[in-house]
Amino acid sequence: MALIVSGIGVSRGIAIGNVHLLNRGSAPEVFERKLEEHEVASEVERFQGAVAEATNQLRGIRDTIPEDAPKDVASFIDSHILMVKDSMLRKVPIEIIQEQLCNAEWALKQQLDKVVSVFEQMEDAYLRTRINDVEHVINLIQQILKDQQFTVQMKSQPLKGSIIVADDLTPADTVVMQNQNIAGFITEQGGPLSHTAILARSLGIPAVVGIQRARSLLQQEEKIIIDGADGMVLAGIDENTIKKYRQKQREQKDARRKLNSLRNISAKTRDGQRISLQANIELAEDVNALKLSGADGVGLYRTEFLYIDRDVPADEAEQYSAYRKVVRTLKGKPLTIRTLDLGAEKEFDPDYQGPLTQNPALGLRAIRRSLKDTELFIQQLRAILRASAFGPVRILLPMITSYIELVQSLSLLDQAKRELKSEGYDYDPDILVGAMIEVPAAALSATIFAKQLDFFSIGTNDLIQYTLAIDRIDDQVNYLYDPLHPAVLKLIHLTLQAGRKAKIPVAMCGEMAGDPRYTRLLLGMGLREFSAHPSNLLEIKQIINRSKISELESPTKKILSTTVPAKIHPMVDALNE
Amino acid sequence: MINKELTIINKLGLHDRAAAKLVALASNYQSEIFIEKEGKKVNGKSIMGVMMLAASQHSVVNVAVTGNDEEDAITHIEILFNNCFEEEE
Repeated sequence: MALIVSGIGVSRGIAIGNVHLLNRGSAPEVFERKLEEHEVASEVERFQGAVAEATNQLRGIRDTIPEDAPKDVASFIDSHILMVKDSMLRKVPIEIIQEQLCNAEWALKQQLDKVVSVFEQMEDAYLRTRINDVEHVINLIQQILKDQQFTVQMKSQPLKGSIIVADDLTPADTVVMQNQNIAGFITEQGGPLSHTAILARSLGIPAVVGIQRARSLLQQEEKIIIDGADGMVLAGIDENTIKKYRQKQREQKDARRKLNSLRNISAKTRDGQRISLQANIELAEDVNALKLSGADGVGLYRTEFLYIDRDVPADEAEQYSAYRKVVRTLKGKPLTIRTLDLGAEKEFDPDYQGPLTQNPALGLRAIRRSLKDTELFIQQLRAILRASAFGPVRILLPMITSYIELVQSLSLLDQAKRELKSEGYDYDPDILVGAMIEVPAAALSATIFAKQLDFFSIGTNDLIQYTLAIDRIDDQVNYLYDPLHPAVLKLIHLTLQAGRKAKIPVAMCGEMAGDPRYTRLLLGMGLREFSAHPSNLLEIKQIINRSKISELESPTKKILSTTVPAKIHPMVDALNE
Repeated sequence: MINKELTIINKLGLHDRAAAKLVALASNYQSEIFIEKEGKKVNGKSIMGVMMLAASQHSVVNVAVTGNDEEDAITHIEILFNNCFEEEE
C-alpha cells in the first residue's frame, strides 16, 4: 500500500532507491566513572587519542572533497577541524579529568553542557542553533571513545544508490555519503537553513528534512522515492509509479543540463536581436548567483535591507561600502540601484508612532518618503554616487507619479553631486537616472517623463495592483490579479512606445519579466531588457534564443487589440507553442 | 598594541564558518589577537571563543592586536570583516 509522507524539501531532484536506516546522530549515553589516581594518566591519554583520531577523520574527509566542489562545502568541515583543535575541547576536558578524577566521556559531557548553556542564552536565533556544530564535533569524539563510530560503519557498507534515513546528519556525514554516491537522504531533524540542507544543495543531493519518526515509518531496504522539490516521500510503491518517476527524473536532468549549457551564451533571438538579461538582487552576497545564471548585469538592486530590521538606517559609509562591493564584484557589468522603496509594507523605524494609514499602498512610501525626508535621501544618493566611481551605476527612482517628483529628485541629485565635488570625492558626473513605471499615471505620462530621464524600468507587480485595484495578499480578491488584463498590457505598451520615441531603453523588473509564460509576448511588444530573479534567467534565455521577433509581432498586435480578457490567455498560450 | 572597532556586516554574523575564517587568518600571525564584545573578551585564535561571542549582524566588536606583525594582522582582519567573510549566501 502506498504511503506518502511530506517534509521540507531542501535540495531539488528526484531520488529512487532503497532505504538505509541510520541509527545515529544523537550522542551515545554517557555515564560517570570515578578514577583512581593511578588511572588518570592513561585516561588523559585515551582522551588525547580520541581527539587525534577525530582530527584525522575530519582531515581525511576534507581531502576527499573534489576540487571543483563549491567553496562552502570544505568550509563546513574546516570549521569542525578548528573546533576539535580548540583548547576548549582539547585541553579543558583534560583538566576536568585531572581535577575531578572522572572518565573522559564524563569530562567531555560536562564541558559540552557548559558550552550549551552559553549558546542557549544567545539572542540571535541563527547563532544559537550553531551549537549543533559543536555537538556534532563532541559527539564524534564521544563515539570514538565508545568505539562506535560512524565513518567506519559507513565504509563497511555499500551505500551506492541508497536513500539514507537518519535522525540528523553532520556536514562530515554528508560529504562521506556523497563520496559513496548515495541517491538522496531524509532526516527527522533540520530545516531549510540547517547545514546539512545547505550542503545537500551545494552537492546536488536530493534531500527531504524534518520528517518526524521517519525511521519508524520507513523500513530497511524498502524501495522509496523522494522528490526534493516539494519535500515528498513515497513508500510502498508499485512498478508503474517507479517508471513514472524515472521518466520525470530523466526529464529534469535533461532540462537542467540544457539550461546550464546556456550560462555562457548571450541572449539573442533567432533573428539576431540581442536581449539584455539582468538580475534582481537584494543583498550584496546575491551577486555571486549571477555567474550561475549568466546575467548581463544587475537590473534591480533593492536597498531596503539597509533600512529595515535594524535600530537605525545604515549611514552613508555603510551604504557606500555595500554598493561599492557590488560594483566591484560586477567587474564592469552595469548595476541599477533602486533608491529606498519603503513605506507601504514595512515601517523601518521600530519606534514609529505616527498614524497607521488605512491604505498604506497609497500612502507615504518610496519616492514620496524620500522627498519628505530629504536628509535621508541625499545620504543615499551620495553613497550611490560615490560607488559610481568604481564602475557603471544607474539610479532607479521608485513610484514616480508626477513630473514634479522627478524634478525634485533630480535637483536633490544635483545637490548631492555638488556636495561631493566640493568635498573632493570621486563619482560619475553623468550617472544615468531612470524611473520605475509602476503607477498607471506614470505609464500615461511616460512621454513627458522620458525627456528628463535616461531609462525606464517597468515594475509590473505594483503596476498591476494599482491598475486593477487589487491587493495581491488579500485572498478574497487575488484571483482577479491578471498580468494579461488588457489595461495592464496597454500601459506596458504605452511605456515601451514612449521609450522608443525618446530613444531611451525600457527594462522590466517585475515578476512578469521572470515568468516564462510572458517572455514571447513581451518580446513581441518590444521589450529588450528583462530583469528577474537569477534563478529564472536561464529559462527566459532559453525561450528568447528559440524565438524569432518577426514571427511574434503580428500575433502580439492582435493580442493588444483584444479587449476581452478571457480571449487573451489562449492567444498568449498559442504564442508559446 | 592596535585597537580597532569593527562592525559585523554579513547577514549571518560570526557563525561557525565565518569564525573559522577569522581564526584561520588570525592564526597566521604571531601577534596576540583578542576580540571583545560588550565586556566579553575572547582569544581571536579560538573558534569556540569567537563563536561564543554571539556577534550577530550589525554588532560592533573591538579587536586588539599586540605583537611584531600587528599592523599587517589588523589590516587583513579588517578586510575580512568588510568582505562579509567571503560569504556567498
